[in-house]
Amino acid sequence: MLSKTMGLILADHHRIHLSELNQPRALAAMPFGGRYRIIDFTLSNMVNSGIKQVGVIALSAYKSLMDHLGTGASWDLDRMQQGLYLLPPYINAASIGDDSDLTGLLDFFSGSTQQTVVICDANIVMNYTFEEMVRQFNEGNQDILALYNRDGNQFGSPVISLDLDRRGFVRDVMIDALEIPSQRSFLGAIVVSRDLITSIIAEAIARGQTDFSLERILKMYTQYRIRGYEYKGKSLRINSVAGYFNASMRLLDSEFRQALFNEDTPIYTKVKNAAPAVYEHGSGVTNALCSDGCRIYGDVRNSILFRNVMVAKHATVENCVIFQDVQISEGAHLSNVILDKDCVVRMGVKLQGHPDYPVVIRKGAIV
Amino acid sequence: MNRQRVVAMILAGGQGSRLGVLTASVAKPAVPFGSRYRIIDFPLSNCTNSGIEAVGVLTQYQPLELNAYIGNGHSWDLDRNSGGAFILPPYQSSGRSDWYKGTANAIYQNIPFIDGYRPEIVLILSGDHIYKMNYEKMVRYHEEKMADATIAVLEVPWEEISRFGIMKTNDRAEITEFLEKPATADSNLASMGVYCFNWKALRTALMEDESNPKSSNDFGKNIIPAMLENKQRVMAYRFSGYWKDVGTVSSLWEANMDLLDYPDQIDLHDASWRIYSRNPIRPSHYIGQKAVLDRVALTDGDEIYGTVRHSVLSHSVIVEEGAVVTDSILMPGVHVGKNAKLDRCIVSINTKIGANVEIGPEVKDGIKDYVNKRLCTNGISLVADELEIRPGAKFAGSSMITGQKSDASENVVSVRSDD
Repeated sequence: MLSKTMGLILADHHRIHLSELNQPRALAAMPFGGRYRIIDFTLSNMVNSGIKQVGVIALSAYKSLMDHLGTGASWDLDRMQQGLYLLPPYINAASIGDDSDLTGLLDFFSGSTQQTVVICDANIVMNYTFEEMVRQFNEGNQDILALYNRDGNQFGSPVISLDLDRRGFVRDVMIDALEIPSQRSFLGAIVVSRDLITSIIAEAIARGQTDFSLERILKMYTQYRIRGYEYKGKSLRINSVAGYFNASMRLLDSEFRQALFNEDTPIYTKVKNAAPAVYEHGSGVTNALCSDGCRIYGDVRNSILFRNVMVAKHATVENCVIFQDVQISEGAHLSNVILDKDCVVRMGVKLQGHPDYPVVIRKGAIV
Repeated sequence: MNRQRVVAMILAGGQGSRLGVLTASVAKPAVPFGSRYRIIDFPLSNCTNSGIEAVGVLTQYQPLELNAYIGNGHSWDLDRNSGGAFILPPYQSSGRSDWYKGTANAIYQNIPFIDGYRPEIVLILSGDHIYKMNYEKMVRYHEEKMADATIAVLEVPWEEISRFGIMKTNDRAEITEFLEKPATADSNLASMGVYCFNWKALRTALMEDESNPKSSNDFGKNIIPAMLENKQRVMAYRFSGYWKDVGTVSSLWEANMDLLDYPDQIDLHDASWRIYSRNPIRPSHYIGQKAVLDRVALTDGDEIYGTVRHSVLSHSVIVEEGAVVTDSILMPGVHVGKNAKLDRCIVSINTKIGANVEIGPEVKDGIKDYVNKRLCTNGISLVADELEIRPGAKFAGSSMITGQKSDASENVVSVRSDD
């Protein structure tokens, strides 16, 4: 267990935008897998590694993220000492008009006594503990350890390709290169000492910078010794709407579910008290991941249903991701659709997308 | 301690022997119910929804699971600064430790706990009923009527009065007589096991009852009749709505099936009266390519590859391909192997049913060694927790399958390490 390590999660990503899905909520708060938000994976990974102090930088649309995280109790992060810290932007006269203000982040690090920091992007879905990576960081002679795997560009832009030398040190970083220099793609996590990250941020503030990203840190490879650390397990990247859709569908694959959900390192999420799901007479549900509170009278195939979804008689839902509290009325027919929270699909409505271009219906829409 | 005007005490101490092996290692209130819940979630959620913040849970048999389940009461919003949920086992004092002798004695032993809150009203609730009730309304009624005690009653069918404690009332709803399971009576108002007392009056009654060596220290048998005899004001509070005692195998089975057959009777989707429970940390449930579901309740962590009809499954249950589960209740962590057939079964926690196992009233040539018609009525079979049923074993209906040795025990392996 990592007792001298703290965590930081970047809830937004300046290169990732999920169109209408991302408008009402930060990237980290994207619903995923029926009952989670994607930050649950990174947060649980940190907690399962023994990290007890976690900051979350949220730049915009962080209401749903704050609702979700609350006091951190669901992750056992409601503590007297340490615990969960939400770091929304400081609004003061000097920062108006800026993307953010890094002094809050500086305070978060300088006020801590931990030695090591794990910093993660929120768009990666995997079940992983950082113990081994931090151990290697502590034993190795580098300034920063950067997690990568060999996904290449299969999850689409943004791809941060790491070119490593023979000793594993980063010698080039390319973003969305037409011809990627290597299959090694940065996997959204670094380990760095608290002293170094504090001085990097202090210097950034001194230079008038207002944004903070892992990409910016990786690009300092000439200044600091950044070494790659390979991850060989299963992971998903939420880089785009189509990427989100594909990642969701991967959960129907039992190998992926087993890799992501196990009893030793559970993925925690906010507790909601819904009723059990009920499958009524005449329903036909196959190859589907469904959640509590659903009431199913119709047909559901190859789909992910969040909590409290109602599928009426003679309705068909195929290759869809349906967010919570959606009602699908009689005779509706949906395929390759992502329906955001609180949507209502009226009787007999037909909506059809393509697996590479799923139809997205925004939150609360009545179709 | 901060003052609390109302303190609730949940009687969770009964052995629950009529539930057979289901309560062998779990106290009755901790028995899983209705897919997502345990029985005690109903009184606990009623308390929190009624604004009651100090709750004592009296327990003495197999308290481990119940203790772990309730924890600090967080799941029911009962982790309060001034109050909370407390598990109250029998006290150990120097030289003696007193087993709870009866329901009244259980409260008697916890007088110091209740006194600590300096309450005006104490609610005595039972931990084995499924119902949604606003206790606040009952307390208001109790206070308006200036009663010493108020008992919640509901009308039951006349032919069933012999199963209940029956209250006779006058036209002002004052209780005049209490009849424990009468053969005949001219009232069909049954006690729901929900009592509201002025603490002062109850405290005195408990002291007197305790000093009576002949008393069996029971609320229904002793405390209420004594209060009636002393001409204290005991009111009936009428309740109409879903209420079910789940103290027997067939009533537990029926109450589970009611959720499928009459979902509106105890509406679990009601956002204004949520039933809270401790959530398992499991992913959403998965339904496989060949699965067939027909009137089934499922929750987190379930994986269904076979056929399930008219059944209620708790979390983390796996039903493999070709298996057929009908009219059954599967508790957390049950695994049903390939082509197994379960008909009218209640399978307890973490039990593994091997491939091709058959249990049910229609099974031909099923072994009858475990048949227990006294507890397992209506053809319902019980399978104890933490067992492994060997592949291909066949059991007749009304079986109560345990890990204890019997002639047929080569079919049943207990995986609990202490057996």
